[in-house]
Amino acid sequence: MTKVDEAEAPEKVVNYVIEDGKVRLRASKCPTCGGVFQPPRSICPADGSSPLDDILLASEGTVYTFTVVRQSTPEFKTPYILVYVDFPEQVRVLMPYDGEEPPPIGSQVDIVMGSGPRVENGEPVSIPHARL
Amino acid sequence: MEEVYVLGIGMTPFGKHPDKTAADLGAEAVNLALADAGVSRQDIEAAWVGHVYQGMAMGQRALYAAGLSGIPIDNVENACSSGSTAIWDAAMALRAGAYDIVLALGVEHLTNLFRGAFAPDPSDVEAQIGLTMPGIYAMRAQRYMVQYGVTSEQIAQIAVKNKKNAAMNPLSHFKKPVTLEEVMQGRLIADPLHLHECAPVSDGAAAVVMVSKAKLHQLGSSRAIKLAGTALKSGRTEVGLADMTVEDLTWRTAQTAYEQSGVGPGDIDFAEVHDCFSIAEALRVEGMGLVPHGEYVARVGKGEMDINGSFPVNASGGLLGKGHPLGATGVAQVVELVKQLRGEAGERQIQNAKVGVAHCRGGKAQGVEGTACTVNILVA
Ligand SMILES: [Zn+2]
Repeated sequence: MTKVDEAEAPEKVVNYVIEDGKVRLRASKCPTCGGVFQPPRSICPADGSSPLDDILLASEGTVYTFTVVRQSTPEFKTPYILVYVDFPEQVRVLMPYDGEEPPPIGSQVDIVMGSGPRVENGEPVSIPHARL
Repeated sequence: MEEVYVLGIGMTPFGKHPDKTAADLGAEAVNLALADAGVSRQDIEAAWVGHVYQGMAMGQRALYAAGLSGIPIDNVENACSSGSTAIWDAAMALRAGAYDIVLALGVEHLTNLFRGAFAPDPSDVEAQIGLTMPGIYAMRAQRYMVQYGVTSEQIAQIAVKNKKNAAMNPLSHFKKPVTLEEVMQGRLIADPLHLHECAPVSDGAAAVVMVSKAKLHQLGSSRAIKLAGTALKSGRTEVGLADMTVEDLTWRTAQTAYEQSGVGPGDIDFAEVHDCFSIAEALRVEGMGLVPHGEYVARVGKGEMDINGSFPVNASGGLLGKGHPLGATGVAQVVELVKQLRGEAGERQIQNAKVGVAHCRGGKAQGVEGTACTVNILVA
């Protein structure tokens, strides 16, 4: 088993690790209700249980829905594609999508590192993205 | 439980008011509501004031501008439901017997503060990733189209309907009808939603004077409308993979209002709902159980939700046409219900309007299905 690399600065934006070259989001699973929450939490927002179990989500999922955002706040470079990805762990996570055209609903996607749409100091921020 | 009535209503024009402050707008709405109720400012025992981006003690500033001071003034922030939450608070106080005549005001001056797309609070990770309010509803629209087999043109008809209604409302932000072609040729904000399918950034205020039954009898007004049911709920934590075309929050809130009022979905003649985006109107009406899931959009296309249709929705023009000064929106919906139920809605009067529902739901916080939702049922 390889070492889990802590990702750098952007975990303030999205909490993830790169393990065996795969991007995996950190999440919390409630031992009481089974709810899975991403980003991780210390108290279950559904029933107040604590502590929660730390888990890593699979590095692939299914596109639940998508949009192309063409008007946004100034810190984002438009247009950009957003998707909600349903993970096998039964949690839905918002992610940017890497690709020219939005993916059809139901597409299988891999979780990879990508850049943007957020721009800081003139540079697109590197965070996990979904990709076909 | 003490019965509650809306005695007086007041509303400023919604739109751009570069030469007025939020306090000016709030005072204008209050003075109109007092005059409409036929009571004086000294009669008001307490006030609740809804607003979102107006800063500290907006309520006091608005009421001082109207010559009201010294009474309890409670500032209410509950995202887009702030104004309707103020009404709920006022109703709770009347029902509890704490007061007999109170004021609920919603006020917002946005055009000097914002342009373009609203986003969730920046502390939400989703906001940091790039989620905008139009983006959320666009994603829900994409799901709706796939699940129920409707097109973006069909959804856009909702905007055409509401802007047509707004053109008959002298207080509307938008006064010009638009064609379906104009909506579809407009700029895309977040696919599939075009500019005309997104509520504008507006300034405005709306106020209602509310009274107990005992006070109503004492005053003897014949123009009061009964607030038969009023409900406020918050969204539940999202666990698992929910259907984003179904609004659990809207349904739970409506159920409470139905139970309180003894009015069921089948008894309601017309609705004002929170159409912050075209698709949102469908999600709200279906969420309240007024139309089966997946059927609303097609029925709009048949004219059923027009002012002269079988179930008029957003005769006022809705948020899309009348405008959306966040904190004022929920109060303005109740103002419209009262106008319709009194038979004072002029050109856009709904025939035989006896029971109306106002649905207001706003905001976005990561991890919950919605933030705040109110449903008010008024009966003539
Ligand atoms: Zn739990």
